[in-house]
Amino acid sequence: MTRRLIDRLRLLGAAIAAVIVVAAAGPATAQSTDDLDAFFDPNTIQELRLTVNTRDVRSLRENFEQDTYYTADLQWRNIRVRNAGIRSRGSASRNPTKLGLRVDFDRYVGGQKFLGLKSFVLKNLWQDGSMMHERVAMAFFARMGQPSSRESFCRLYINNEFQGLYLIVESVDNDYLTRTLGENDGYLYSYQFQGPFYGEYLGEDLEPYKSRFQPQSHEREADVKLYAPIHDFWREVNEPDDAVWRERVEQYVDLQQFMTQAALEGFLAENDGLLGGNGMNNFFLYRLAGTNRHRFLPWDKDASFLVIDYSIFQWSDANVLFRRAFAYPDLREWYFQALEAAAKSAAEDNWLLNEVTRVAELVSAVVEEDTKKPFSTEAFYESVEYMKEFAQLRTKLVLQQIEEWRRSRR
Amino acid sequence: MKRQRIHLAVIACALCALPPRSVVGQEAQPPVAQTERTDAEKEGKEEGRAEAQKQDGAGRVRDDWGFRWEDHPTFRFGPGTRLDLRLRLQGDLRGSEASIVEDGEGASIDVARRRIGIDGEILNIFDYQVESELGDEDDPWRDVYVNYKQFKFAELQAGKFKVPFSLDENTSATNLDFVYRSRIGALLAPGRDRGVMAHGRLLDRGILRYELGWFAEDGSNGRSKSTDRVHGESTWAGRALVQPFRSTKSPLSDLAVGLAFTRSDLPAGVTGIRGRTDFDAAFWRPTPFVNGTRRRFGFEGRWRPGPFSVKSEYIRLQDERLGQGVDDSNLAPFVASGWYVSGTWAVTGEQKAEGLDSPRRPLFQGGFGAVELAVRVERIRFGSVSGDPLASDSPRADVILGNAERAWTFGVNWYVNRWIKIQTNLVRNAIQFPEQGPLPSQPVYWSRLIRFQFSM
Repeated sequence: MTRRLIDRLRLLGAAIAAVIVVAAAGPATAQSTDDLDAFFDPNTIQELRLTVNTRDVRSLRENFEQDTYYTADLQWRNIRVRNAGIRSRGSASRNPTKLGLRVDFDRYVGGQKFLGLKSFVLKNLWQDGSMMHERVAMAFFARMGQPSSRESFCRLYINNEFQGLYLIVESVDNDYLTRTLGENDGYLYSYQFQGPFYGEYLGEDLEPYKSRFQPQSHEREADVKLYAPIHDFWREVNEPDDAVWRERVEQYVDLQQFMTQAALEGFLAENDGLLGGNGMNNFFLYRLAGTNRHRFLPWDKDASFLVIDYSIFQWSDANVLFRRAFAYPDLREWYFQALEAAAKSAAEDNWLLNEVTRVAELVSAVVEEDTKKPFSTEAFYESVEYMKEFAQLRTKLVLQQIEEWRRSRR
Repeated sequence: MKRQRIHLAVIACALCALPPRSVVGQEAQPPVAQTERTDAEKEGKEEGRAEAQKQDGAGRVRDDWGFRWEDHPTFRFGPGTRLDLRLRLQGDLRGSEASIVEDGEGASIDVARRRIGIDGEILNIFDYQVESELGDEDDPWRDVYVNYKQFKFAELQAGKFKVPFSLDENTSATNLDFVYRSRIGALLAPGRDRGVMAHGRLLDRGILRYELGWFAEDGSNGRSKSTDRVHGESTWAGRALVQPFRSTKSPLSDLAVGLAFTRSDLPAGVTGIRGRTDFDAAFWRPTPFVNGTRRRFGFEGRWRPGPFSVKSEYIRLQDERLGQGVDDSNLAPFVASGWYVSGTWAVTGEQKAEGLDSPRRPLFQGGFGAVELAVRVERIRFGSVSGDPLASDSPRADVILGNAERAWTFGVNWYVNRWIKIQTNLVRNAIQFPEQGPLPSQPVYWSRLIRFQFSM
């Protein structure tokens, strides 16, 4: 009798323990690496739902040019994150109709993350008729072994109202650095466009650098520690003595990496990147831990795929850093080889064409539903056709430009 | 800074050198009321004054007309009508391990108050008071009111004055036992506003005192210069104080306990209630959106047997948050609350209930003045401090990430003579979540204060 009672109690205890284990395991598995991979699955259109107080939505639209944060709950599948911070974002793409948004999970709750992410960006795809420039360009950077943000498309709902097709973009932050560079102890800066800057020396005062290079880490450190190395970097870039230029500049920047990123952007006909028509733009700068050496990280590739016959030397003379680095034969060759590698990789197995086709098929139904996009659905399909044409012709045109340049120098 | 220090030194020297009262006044007189006493104190002093007006020490009827200088300049215009000129100067020497907001340094001098005013009565039917803070360009007027007092059971007061809530907040700054008010008195009680109030004494020998009023807003303490911060609008306030043994001669006759409430309309916005240390450094920055009604509840008790006194208060403030959720739902109200317990001991033997501002043996009049020891322990809390994992500083969080402060204040008060009072305080502040406070790396820090006060 007593033994039977003990057995039953043991059974009950085991059942309770099992329930506790399952319950405890629930949240852990809910926000696992698998979920993060699923979130950035390139073959899926996610569904994201933001719940925002109606007063805040109204204020957000009325004040879309400001960076004011508002509270939102975010739901993806069965995961709900409360008290996230959202704000309007973007430059020319900011608008009150189809809001560009940044979502910060630790804005109001210290240490809060979603699938391990502290934040991400919801790009409104406002300036790109194909709505896929960014996605295809970043996928290409990843294919070329370069750091790039993980991205996936989503249908965004705010208070159950469909907002259209958005692109979820992983933020460039410490987790990104760890994933792509294997370290994050250095100094990360987001470049803020303040007007045309072609790498010229901005003077002894740190203020012009401070306004352009916004720290994303070590924010509380003294200005001199944050900005003096950046100041020194651009000062050395502009020093006149060619004999020692490279040695001194390479203390501050990885020139090969710079030439590689410029080459990839050139292949993609990017008009708003390192060699932008209006100066440098759309990059992060990272100073490697324990050194004064910087490297560039790509960001916001909406302005890629500008024209199929985009010159691989477009605006290259205007940029001081590129112009002077290009004068060195080995760096010049490095640039051409990076371009050739990009061209061949894009054409290999029709990767670029297939990617454009695949993404277009993935998003077309949602694009048709998207009534907040600033262009017609017909314009979308025309842009897709142009993208396909670009994918088919760009490799040949780039290789031709390289060959012509080499021939002209023989 | 240096100039202020010199000014304070000159003022202090001049005040100590003032001739003893017998030179400017006539015979020894009962204590005279100063501005802004506690209600009970004020009432007691008023009675004393009425007696003094009728007869001097020898029982002769005194002159009801003309100018007199007793403790302060007074003009008399016949029986029951007078105009008193008032002046109050306070200067503080302050030091703290934490920052002091005005200059960000660890020590500073602050001219806390420069108030001038008039008060008096008309035909024994009306009281009035007009008081201004010199140098305060934003809000120069303090008390500006008229009180109709013909019937003790129902007086009527109108103008700008303190909302009847909180014993500590309704005690004049001149008569505080400590340099600074309790945190709950300074931060959670309403303060002054424009309104009308009925008040009086009821029941046997007036053991029940009541105050009930309507005010245009809910006082200056919760108001902010920031336009997105909101405070209470139309406000009802009430306070009832019972002295159950008032009619007896027992040591308990002074014992008083009371309840108070306020109720205000609260527009949508960020609450204006702030968590600040006694040196005005923030330790809790308001973020929660509120909307609906603001309610305050207060309990107070006071007992002053002989040279001792004990005071205690509890205040709870609650702001509704109607429709403030991300899904437009109602959120749990924002709550701030706190309490204090304080005690004093007049070591020179004065009766606390009669006030120590007229020491039995003033300095230079055969004595040293009155000396009082004081101690206060208090705690104030904003939002949730229980470590709830859902707590957030989002304006729309259901559980508001809060903070709390506990402080011990040890003081010595020296009443030099009827005009001069010098207070020294040593304060131990403990901030629950120091990262939000003035010393992020240090939860506990000490502050020290010396206040020089001249009032007449």
